[in-house]
Amino acid sequence: MDVDVELVGVTKAFGDFVAVDNISFAVAKGSFFSLLGPSGCGKSTTLRMTSGFEHPDRGELRIAGEDMAGVPPYRRPTNLVFQRWALFPHMTAAENVAFGLEAERVPRAQIRTRVGDALALVGLGEFAQRKPSQLSGGQMQRVALARALVKRPKVLLLDEPLGALDLKLRTQMQLELKRIQREVGTTFIYVTHDQGEAMTMSDRIAVMNKGRIEQIDTPQAIYDRPATRFVAGFIGNTNIAPVTIEAVEGGKGRVRCGALRFVVANVGAIRAGPGHVALRYERVRLGAAATSMPVRHEAEVRDVIFAGSVVQYVVILREGPLELIAEQSHEGGEPLLARGARVAVGWDAAAARLFQDEEG
Amino acid sequence: MSATLSAPVPAARRIRRRWLSPLLLLLPTLLVMAYAFIAPLATFFEYSFYRFRRGRLEQVFTLDTYSRFLFDDYYHLIIYDTLRMAALVTVLSLVIGYPLAYALHRITRPSIQRFLGLLIFTPILVSVVVRSYGWIILLSDQGPVNWLLLRLGIIAEPVALVFNLFGVVISLTHVFLPFVVFPIFTSLQRIEPELKEAAEDLGAGWWTTFRRVTFPLSLPGVVAGAQISFTLALGAFVTPAMLGGGRVFVLPLQVYNATSEINWPVAAVGGMVLLIISTIAVAGFNRALKYSEVR
Repeated sequence: MDVDVELVGVTKAFGDFVAVDNISFAVAKGSFFSLLGPSGCGKSTTLRMTSGFEHPDRGELRIAGEDMAGVPPYRRPTNLVFQRWALFPHMTAAENVAFGLEAERVPRAQIRTRVGDALALVGLGEFAQRKPSQLSGGQMQRVALARALVKRPKVLLLDEPLGALDLKLRTQMQLELKRIQREVGTTFIYVTHDQGEAMTMSDRIAVMNKGRIEQIDTPQAIYDRPATRFVAGFIGNTNIAPVTIEAVEGGKGRVRCGALRFVVANVGAIRAGPGHVALRYERVRLGAAATSMPVRHEAEVRDVIFAGSVVQYVVILREGPLELIAEQSHEGGEPLLARGARVAVGWDAAAARLFQDEEG
Repeated sequence: MSATLSAPVPAARRIRRRWLSPLLLLLPTLLVMAYAFIAPLATFFEYSFYRFRRGRLEQVFTLDTYSRFLFDDYYHLIIYDTLRMAALVTVLSLVIGYPLAYALHRITRPSIQRFLGLLIFTPILVSVVVRSYGWIILLSDQGPVNWLLLRLGIIAEPVALVFNLFGVVISLTHVFLPFVVFPIFTSLQRIEPELKEAAEDLGAGWWTTFRRVTFPLSLPGVVAGAQISFTLALGAFVTPAMLGGGRVFVLPLQVYNATSEINWPVAAVGGMVLLIISTIAVAGFNRALKYSEVR
């Protein structure tokens, strides 16, 4: 694997606040890599260190094999798409895109063709002579992208560039970004707090929390096999319940939650003691579908949330008592369960994930 | 009861209501302006058409004074000197004020920023007469500036720094500096820091970033500062009177001299010319301001 960006043991603190705490990761050349996490998790700081606006207190940052210590932003083979795009308000779209090439002293004729190509790539050919104030949010976003890509960076850094757009436009731009990334083949490092965005576009995702990386993997692996309780809770809709791990044998854990006892499969290295169980909404089965499941219990429907394509039921397991949310796809036609109805609840032992509570 | 409440308010009354409160708020200002500005101006205007002959005012209509201002070289020179002085002061305050504003903008420690801001503000705190005497002492033949230049061997004998245009320009620049620094500072502060980062990220060094991003975006402040210092310099009286040594004969001085000779028509026309120049300057700067702002 050709590596474009590599961080080794990078730490950055602002005063007493450790923004980035000893993180290491490598981004494959030509891949779409996302840093995902809640605000304040250190993802933006990591991006700013990569672009050269912040400097690591400790650790090493290499881009295309070269150590970036002491290299200013204007000499790095990276370009940044800013959160609010940071277009120069006194320049037209074309002038904005040309700026980076002019700073590089690229010959005029070449600038003209490259600016034209870049604007065409993002579908803004006709808007070249407009000023940012005459462009919509989505169009400004595209200009910012063209302005960064026209420099032909080894690595393109994107700092929540879709955050300021409305939902529909955001979905459209996600597909667009992915298409552009495939077309130009540049390495993208994408910072976002939106798990859906990261899942749709990324080849690999690093989930960050409190300055540390919780898990790095493909979107599917992160969704199916979250490595920590935080990842399980942050990505997807998940029931998380405190349990006591009573015994672990043969890769299976026997757990207890109040009076409720069940088995969790594929638990890995876990010891008896306090822990948490995570169970995706859509893996909880109700009614007839529950009867064939290895874990089965009686429950009462507390609430029904109808959201069109899916229905969510809030159910209370009588043993426990434990509150769970079950999500079923709604095919249309079938009647919904009523509030207060008795229903069987069940799930696959392998659907649940068991996490040991950290000591202290 | 409810019928009267929901009845639509007549359009005329609605309009009257919308205009009434702003009008009431403006009234005191309008009254003061009418009494202290418009009325004297009208009187002034009337006097500008009277004739002044052999030290006496005659209430005879004439355009004579106006034609003298238009065609007489003596008045041309006064107008030219006034404009030149104002232009020099404006340019010099911009040249000194811009770096100051930039430094103030770049300082991130609030305490130092406040202190420096206060320092830049000090010229306004000192009375114009005191400040002028200060400059006379500083710039005189035996003053510290000449002494230093002599000691450093830059000059062989004292140079005339005061009682000429140089002294006036230096002193006026000193006073107008805050009026130039603060508008520029404000427009620098208003530039999003991300824009500079974006320029840097796109490969621009400090100079290119300044030339292509920071400076163009600070132009509204530059134009506003220039407007204030130019119009203030046009009307400056005490400083040219005290530091000009009779060699800087600008319009306000000429108006003053004319009034002391009770030559009302010349004083009135001088005042009119000054007003016209100021109006043209303000209009010009306003137009420049419109173009310098990002649309």
